[in-house]
Amino acid sequence: MDLAWYALLGLFFGGYLVLAGYDYGVGLLLARGGGPTGRRAALTALGPFFLGNEVWLVAAVGILFGAFPVLEGELLSGCYPAVAGALVGVILVTAGVQLRSRPADERIRARWDRMVVVGSALAALGWGVLLAALLQGVPRQADGHVAGVSHLATPFAAAAGLAMVALVAVHGATFLTLRLPVADAAVVGRTARRLVPVALCAVALATVVGLLSPRVRDAVERPAVAVLLPVLLAAALLAARAALARRRPGWALAATGAALALPVALVGAALWPYVLVSTTDPGASLTVADAAASAPTLRLLGWVALPLLPALLGFQAMCWWVFRGRTDGRAPVYW
Amino acid sequence: MDTLLLARLQFATTTSIHFLFVVVTLGLVTLLVGMQTAWVLTGNPKWERLTRYWGQLYVINYVLGVATGIVMEFQFGLNWSGLSRYVGNVFGAPLAIETLVAFFLESTFLGMWIFGWHRLRKGVHLALLWGVAITAYASAFWIMVANSWLQHPVGYEVRDGIAHLTDFGALLTNPSLGMAFGHVVSAALLVGGMLMAAVSAGHLIRRTPDFVLFRTSLRVGLVTAALAITMVQGFGFAQFGPVGSVQPTKFGGNNPEAQAQIAEWTTRFGPGDYAPPVLASVGLGFMILIGFTLGCVWLLLPLLFRDWIIRLRFPLWLILLASPLPFIAVILGWIAREVGRQPWVAYGLLPTEQAVSPVGAPVMLTSLIGFSLLLGTLAVTNWVLLARHAARGAADPALGRPPAAPGEPAHPEPALA
Repeated sequence: MDLAWYALLGLFFGGYLVLAGYDYGVGLLLARGGGPTGRRAALTALGPFFLGNEVWLVAAVGILFGAFPVLEGELLSGCYPAVAGALVGVILVTAGVQLRSRPADERIRARWDRMVVVGSALAALGWGVLLAALLQGVPRQADGHVAGVSHLATPFAAAAGLAMVALVAVHGATFLTLRLPVADAAVVGRTARRLVPVALCAVALATVVGLLSPRVRDAVERPAVAVLLPVLLAAALLAARAALARRRPGWALAATGAALALPVALVGAALWPYVLVSTTDPGASLTVADAAASAPTLRLLGWVALPLLPALLGFQAMCWWVFRGRTDGRAPVYW
Repeated sequence: MDTLLLARLQFATTTSIHFLFVVVTLGLVTLLVGMQTAWVLTGNPKWERLTRYWGQLYVINYVLGVATGIVMEFQFGLNWSGLSRYVGNVFGAPLAIETLVAFFLESTFLGMWIFGWHRLRKGVHLALLWGVAITAYASAFWIMVANSWLQHPVGYEVRDGIAHLTDFGALLTNPSLGMAFGHVVSAALLVGGMLMAAVSAGHLIRRTPDFVLFRTSLRVGLVTAALAITMVQGFGFAQFGPVGSVQPTKFGGNNPEAQAQIAEWTTRFGPGDYAPPVLASVGLGFMILIGFTLGCVWLLLPLLFRDWIIRLRFPLWLILLASPLPFIAVILGWIAREVGRQPWVAYGLLPTEQAVSPVGAPVMLTSLIGFSLLLGTLAVTNWVLLARHAARGAADPALGRPPAAPGEPAHPEPALA
């Protein structure tokens, strides 16, 4: 039961990174110029999916609270600056994308767009740091609380945050290659291919810093799984580059999406059976079973989630199906 | 300043801003469902234009409801980790159900509704709006289940200092739930109705071109507000009985039941100040005053006959001036309910100071200032945008704009832009 809920938590957080990842990627790419029309076209490509993407985060935190209350309290308050930073980013993107087209003045719209760029960077950075914090362990004391927030300030956390920003940028460019009209897609496809080596370097940097960090080496329960992570990430990025070169943006998006989902799955697997590893007191490490809510709560939530999950995924799939294909002059414009 | 006070201030700020936007969301979506259904059934283009105009305002308003809602959800973990540690087994369940059953679907449906104009069949498009409305009400219900549990914890047993769920049904039949849910939902309808009437009144005062359109929405808004205020009053007064019996100290610590309760807590938890701050009663008193004042909406209804309400003009001004009142009332009501729960986070079970996260005051202060500035600025910006779009009229809202015919530029930009 614990494992099923842990997997579900991973599914929703991973799903959030994959789906909102291209929101943030498109957000970052608003900074690359292209003028008001280019930015508008990018946001139109995002259009109908935007609202359905960020809800995965809300669902993930809902599951975190309902099924893993202890983890929710310790993880979020223990990594306060990372979570708060990501949250500010999420809010800037949410408000920026939805409100930027309401004023008619292009200068004001450009100001909102800059807000989206900053927000996208903050969100990606924050979630990258949070995943790094899990992998490098937290100073959880015997009383069950994480002491202070300075444990986040490590080179590994910074490198992981930057790697997440780079991954998200590649993902966003790939998404635009799939969605924009053919002429614009060729341009953004080149950007995506140029971003792949950047992302590879960022992942390599995070890997090296992580391998050198004694905290990461101590915290990880399954080193093989942890080493597998950068290898699979590199493979996914190279696959995306190859698919882009062969003009298969759909496959490329699947590969960059996998690159965003993989860290969640592999961080979870590398730490299992722990979820919060204590760097100060081995006895204070929190296992998934200890973090989970008691059995009656999980049973109740299970009965709710079981019939609901197909509906949730079904309506999301309906949204993807209804608005599939490239945008054109007749695509509805709202953002 | 200590962490507890800062954390409470942050929660109060975020919740107040959140609440101001979600009541509009809940109220307007109900009216929108009526309008779009009327359009699909009658085919009258007036209803389509009304749906697009009010839908545009609804969607702008929705943004801040989501933004503040996300902050609130995270705040439980960031600032109130004791809450998840001691009572998360019970309190977390309705919140988790809310995110999955309600909010997840609500946003998914809304995204398809915004972009589905002229693309989906009319029936499917209408069904999506019904989906948005139903999940919005479900969302309100589950949030009220969670909140009522904090007001009156039921269906649990404490083992090793931690609450475990024993009877989920008890959470649904919580005496502090039923009437409060009715009260909140009718308050949202009141806010939606009053907002619609006030914006329409503004247009009718300025004699803008769309007379027929705003005459209709004035009537819809006013009738909704009148029905809603009666329900608000009914559900409100019906709460005194159940709330008084399960939360004796809520309306001040002077009555004998409250004294008995405080004496019992003093023996169980040690001496302390168990009476809620006087702010709760002040909020309650002023809310009731506003509630009675808004009851006068009924006096305006006879003036709908032969449009006397528009011809006399002064009733329009009255509606316009009264429009902030329901917003003030919902905030006061929220203060009465939440401050009246103090000094407990879960009434009689978990004191507020035990629920706060053990983070340092500087971190909490930075977070309070940062989020208050961010959300406050966004809220004000959002209201300015709402006011501008409301004033601009229903000529051509961006929502539901038909796509350009092939060959023409999709959206002609001004030549000199």
